[in-house]
Amino acid sequence: MKSVFLLQWRRLYRAPVMLVFLVLTIVFVSLLAGANSENKLTVYTFFDSALTDEGSDAWLEKLNEAELFEFREAQEEEARQAVFAGEINFAVQLMNDDYRLLVAADDPNRFLLENYVNQVFAEELRLREAEQQSSGGEIRTSVEKYMADPPLQAVTTSLEGEGSFKQEGQLQVLFGMSLFFSIYTVLFSLMNIAEEKRGGTWDRMIISPLRKWQVYLGHMTFCFIVGFAQIVLIFLFFHYVFGFDLGERYGTMAVILGCYTFAVVALGLLLMGLVKTPQQLQAVIPIVASAIAMLGGAFWPIEVVTNEIMLAVSKGMPIFYGIDALKGAALYDRGLSELLHPISMMMLFGVACMGIGINLMERR
Amino acid sequence: MLETEALRKVFNGKAAVDGINLYMEKGESVGLLGPNGAGKSTTISMISSLVRPTSGDVMLHGKSTVKDPSQIRRVLGVVPQEIALYQELTAYENLIFFGRIYGLRGKVLEKKIAEVLELVGLADRQKEVVKTYSGGMQRRINMAAAMLHEPEILIMDEPTVGIDPQSRSHILETVRRLNQEKGLTVLYTSHYMEEVERLCDRVYIMDHGRIIASGAKDELKRILSGEETIWIDLDRPYPKLLSSLQMNEEIIQATETEKGVKLIVPKGARILASVFQEAEHHQVQIVNVNVQTPTLEDVFLHLTGRKLRD
Ligand SMILES: Nc1ncnc2c1ncn2[C@@H]1O[C@H](COP(=O)(O)OP(=O)(O)O)[C@@H](O)[C@H]1O
Ligand SMILES: [Mg+2]
Repeated sequence: MKSVFLLQWRRLYRAPVMLVFLVLTIVFVSLLAGANSENKLTVYTFFDSALTDEGSDAWLEKLNEAELFEFREAQEEEARQAVFAGEINFAVQLMNDDYRLLVAADDPNRFLLENYVNQVFAEELRLREAEQQSSGGEIRTSVEKYMADPPLQAVTTSLEGEGSFKQEGQLQVLFGMSLFFSIYTVLFSLMNIAEEKRGGTWDRMIISPLRKWQVYLGHMTFCFIVGFAQIVLIFLFFHYVFGFDLGERYGTMAVILGCYTFAVVALGLLLMGLVKTPQQLQAVIPIVASAIAMLGGAFWPIEVVTNEIMLAVSKGMPIFYGIDALKGAALYDRGLSELLHPISMMMLFGVACMGIGINLMERR
Repeated sequence: MLETEALRKVFNGKAAVDGINLYMEKGESVGLLGPNGAGKSTTISMISSLVRPTSGDVMLHGKSTVKDPSQIRRVLGVVPQEIALYQELTAYENLIFFGRIYGLRGKVLEKKIAEVLELVGLADRQKEVVKTYSGGMQRRINMAAAMLHEPEILIMDEPTVGIDPQSRSHILETVRRLNQEKGLTVLYTSHYMEEVERLCDRVYIMDHGRIIASGAKDELKRILSGEETIWIDLDRPYPKLLSSLQMNEEIIQATETEKGVKLIVPKGARILASVFQEAEHHQVQIVNVNVQTPTLEDVFLHLTGRKLRD
């Protein structure tokens, strides 16, 4: 078994095609999640002529305390053009004691923007009102002092824990893409078996004192480790280079990835049992990989799917359980005992596929 | 030493091998001769425990290898018909792997690799990737890979198909030396009768899954001892002459060749006079006449009415 296993590494070293999928994953995740992660939404800001320079600077400074938005000063004409052309989604016009929003499309973030701007204005206007009535200038400083250590604090947390919306989006992309591309890596590695059978080296092994299960196991172990390592490398890369927050459940995540990779290896064996030639397998792999990824929610969160049938189908996909369990561990700090369901579903899927697959292959 | 008993293999209701009995004694060189599709490769697959026979058995030292293949797997070296190597690896890396699966390791493995590379004459090119080799060189490595574990029996399935004459004679010479100097038992499969004639003491002739003749080379040729072959070269193809020769009662067989016709006739028959007469009659020019004693090819033709190669 060991010699078959080691041989595959030698072959990978001589023809490292699998690295393509590692690189592809990194590129895709960076594009979809990484690049966006630090960017704020730009809001072009222009001022009513009634506003003084100091007044407009003050508003801009106040507004730019925002986490999500960056308010950038612009000419009215320029801002209108940009929104009109769809280059940016929002602009805001500031007046002395009021504001107007210019919204291009039905962007869901416009509610966030409106809320935010509204809040800033309401606060500021109330302060000004209070200042006028108390005639002294100290009210602003005392309010600020007071707010630094408020007697009553309302903290909002979601039921699911502290995972933020942004983090969830990032991790969805990371998990979805890495599990998706690992299907390619594993299945294309398994193609070595099909190629060996066609090329005759398989027969050479079978008539040697090696046992058949050793040959299979050598191949499967190789595919497993290649697939597993690819995902782990990608996770590490995005954790250390892009600062993705993967939580602290590393052991749990390793177990999940192990079960998932096992399920994919088994799926590969089943495919090889079903098709006749390496060429057919080569044609089938992309179809199967993208079908699984689409149905299993690797490209978009399964929560956005409403179709009952699609939801039911997704429950048959190992990638669905993989992403689900990974999110559970990374975002909601769940341990193995709480993730038993997805983990056992992946194992079940794997065992079933492997049993049928090896049977089909051996019957020929 | 090795023996098959009524070996039979059916694929999709059709018998590819149909009741083969053959045996090999230690140190013998045995030929298995037959046209494409005769069932030679299938027979070898069953002997080497790759394919399970539909019925029949293969005995090594009197023990069934179908029931327990472990013994034969250790002593058998098989050179497959197709080149069964990892194309992207070097010859050396291939040999490392095929040695390891026979349990060879370390120094012993290194030594064996050096030996077989020397044997096939490719020691100086072992670090090159197999893909870049010529067909003949690949065939030689294909053979080397089957020799690493010092097999007692070497089975070769058409090892010289489609290669340059130099590699071909190198392989043939290597096999002859292994057999005669090292006492290796060889089963040599081919559809080139001249290879089998050169290498083998004893020959089985196979067709349509059956053995149609067997024996020492000379014994086989004696099947035709009462006959001789006459090659007649003509200035141009002439079908009418051929058909009239085929009508001739005295001629056993008349077939067309590249240059003219080939006749198999009883020894001593005074046939040439009537052939010249026929040629005269059809106004054909005879440019050459050659009388030969039979070859294995003729034996095959005699037994089946067909040529070995089409
Ligand atoms: N795996 C197989 N499945 C179906 N038919 C086969 C298989 N292997 C060989 N055959 C058939 O068996 C016959 C003998 O083939 P083979 O043993 O390869 O002949 P040879 O080696 O003498 O050319 C052929 O008709 C071939 O088509
Ligand atoms: Mg053959």
